[in-house]
Amino acid sequence: MLTTRSAYLFLLPSLALYLLFVGLPILQVFGFSFFAWDNGIAGEFIGLANYSRLLSDAVFWTALWHNGIWVVLTLAFPLLAGLVIAAILADRNANVVRWLGAVYFIPRTIPLVVAGIIWGWIYNPIFGLLNFGLEAVGLGGLGGAWLAQESTALLSLNVVGAWTFFGFCVIIYLAAIQSIDPALYEAASIDGASWWRKFRDLTVPLLRGSTLFLGLYAAIEAMRFFDLVWVTTQGGPGYATEVLTTHIYKTFFLVGDFGYAATLSVVLLIIVLAISAGAFTLLRKP
Amino acid sequence: MTLSTQRHMPLLLAAGIAASVCIQPAAAQTVVTQWDQFAMAGITAAGPAMDELITTCAPDLNGATVLRTIAPSIGIRDSYRLAVSANKTPDLAYTWPAASVLAGYARVGALAPLDDYYEQYGWEGINGFYRGRNGFQGALYGVPMEQDLMGVYYNPALFKENGIAVPTTYAEFQAAVEAFKAKGITPIAFGNRDRWPATNTLSLLLGLTAGKDVEETVLFGDTPWANDQFKLAAETFQSWAENGYFPKGFNGIGYDEANALFLSGRAAMTITGTWVLQDMARGASFDLGVFMLPPIADGVAPGTMWGEGSQWQVSANASQDVKDAAAAYINCLISPASREVWVEKGYLVPIGTTPQELEQWDALPIVKSFYTQGLATPDTNFYDLHTTVPESVTQVLYAELQRMVGGDATADEFLSAMDVAWQKAIDNGERWVP
Repeated sequence: MLTTRSAYLFLLPSLALYLLFVGLPILQVFGFSFFAWDNGIAGEFIGLANYSRLLSDAVFWTALWHNGIWVVLTLAFPLLAGLVIAAILADRNANVVRWLGAVYFIPRTIPLVVAGIIWGWIYNPIFGLLNFGLEAVGLGGLGGAWLAQESTALLSLNVVGAWTFFGFCVIIYLAAIQSIDPALYEAASIDGASWWRKFRDLTVPLLRGSTLFLGLYAAIEAMRFFDLVWVTTQGGPGYATEVLTTHIYKTFFLVGDFGYAATLSVVLLIIVLAISAGAFTLLRKP
Repeated sequence: MTLSTQRHMPLLLAAGIAASVCIQPAAAQTVVTQWDQFAMAGITAAGPAMDELITTCAPDLNGATVLRTIAPSIGIRDSYRLAVSANKTPDLAYTWPAASVLAGYARVGALAPLDDYYEQYGWEGINGFYRGRNGFQGALYGVPMEQDLMGVYYNPALFKENGIAVPTTYAEFQAAVEAFKAKGITPIAFGNRDRWPATNTLSLLLGLTAGKDVEETVLFGDTPWANDQFKLAAETFQSWAENGYFPKGFNGIGYDEANALFLSGRAAMTITGTWVLQDMARGASFDLGVFMLPPIADGVAPGTMWGEGSQWQVSANASQDVKDAAAAYINCLISPASREVWVEKGYLVPIGTTPQELEQWDALPIVKSFYTQGLATPDTNFYDLHTTVPESVTQVLYAELQRMVGGDATADEFLSAMDVAWQKAIDNGERWVP
């Protein structure tokens, strides 16, 4: 007979593996952060010196700000657009829903490195499709060096991020909408509610769980994304697209200051855990 | 395919890969593991020469064998640093950047001193200047090989079509640029998305505005970066960007894309180094030309940025047998006979090669021209920032240069940022002085 104790015993191997491959490395990184490092070699114990360095590291604060912007933009556009499109699609023919859902989801299946390369070409100042298209429709004056200017680089990259995330939001919202009891909509229709009224007062509140899930997912992704930035701008021009992960990468791999890179990683971990804790608390509320 | 073959496919593949990089059977007693950046295309594409020389030098190894791994030129910089941190450096490596970064590895004890081998083999071709760049606290840790030079590649056909002569003064250079602009031709193909190319351009401009002596007072002395000569270099770079010397959006254009722009005949010039001679020579559909950028400031002598860029280095962890075999192998690789192979098969000119030797060997005209001009000013040639400042400063330099050249920071702001990073590096004991 299966007892609670035996259930825990069954969990033990996976827990051991988790501790070995996740818990232990995290502890190791935490330990690294208390030492000075030179070219990847540990030096003397320096206590919290790496943590106090954070206060005067302008690149860290810039990167954190960019991560914050990315969270807000990602929450704002893909989620909102995904919700509206899913609500519109939900009323359509099932075949159309399936087909369009698949089309919207395609960008999600593309690795971010590949998406970065594709969009790098689209934005390219010499042969980019975007500038070419703008010129073709007589809007050449709006063209620019999208990833090469501080004023447009982060926003241009966020468009790529939104492009890859948007379809995922549509699919999640579609599934959630289809699980709502149709009787609720029928009752609202009998009462004379418009499409907008039903969307606002029925769909949106009933999708709270999905919205929280997508928000949490988007926020965590926004804090830890790296590949898209690295293949397109490497954090540049200047620090215009610098995010925490690129700052960590450069500090670790290019400068060899493992201690400070570990400190930045610990801070990133704390932020992601805080977001997760907040979101899970919200998700638990009825 | 049989089931048995399928089952063993991973093993067969692994064996195939191993065989492709092993030069001798694995049964040999002493194996020298080698990492190098000599690929078949791209930067430092001297792969054919390396392949030939491993075979040629095999008899010098006294029975030892070489197990070679090719790492991409840009990537080997990061791979080697990780290997140092893991205490798993290859026995022998040919990596970049040189000098300041090499000194960093020597500082943490990752490299074997090579003084005894210098004495044993009499590597006299490596003069005091290069020994200084490969030394740390009185000991030698690297054997430089590849002579890097920077110059202006140009398209002679475009110059001729537009009636523009090769400039011999900075004023003529500016006039040539303006003439190309007026014809709607991009004057200089330049792309800085990869962040590092602007550092080379600045290195060149610093030498032509400040000169070698002033550079030394900053890089090895107490003069701040924020000085008049360095400011002129920064302002010159920024003015080039503002005045349309480069293609629009250059901070979003890759180094390879910029080279392609030049090689396709859509730009008149590109300013880069000998490390890409292989690709330039192979890719140009026109007769390639090169000239040295003339001095910019009054009173500064002609010269160009030079250095070794990369060097052979031996792991401190290697056994004595392996170190001895590696040194014998290096001795063969830099011998006069091997230098000819590097030049003819790799378009790579080893340090110590004379213009007379180049003339005799079967080198491409562009190779001869580049090195003849670049080596004509040995006393006034100047420093490459990549190999002179520590990596912590390089990372600031990359970002701040993008900002300044992109018009998002002034020359003063750029130099102030550099002084802050420079002082931090000095305080941390990272500065390298030859």
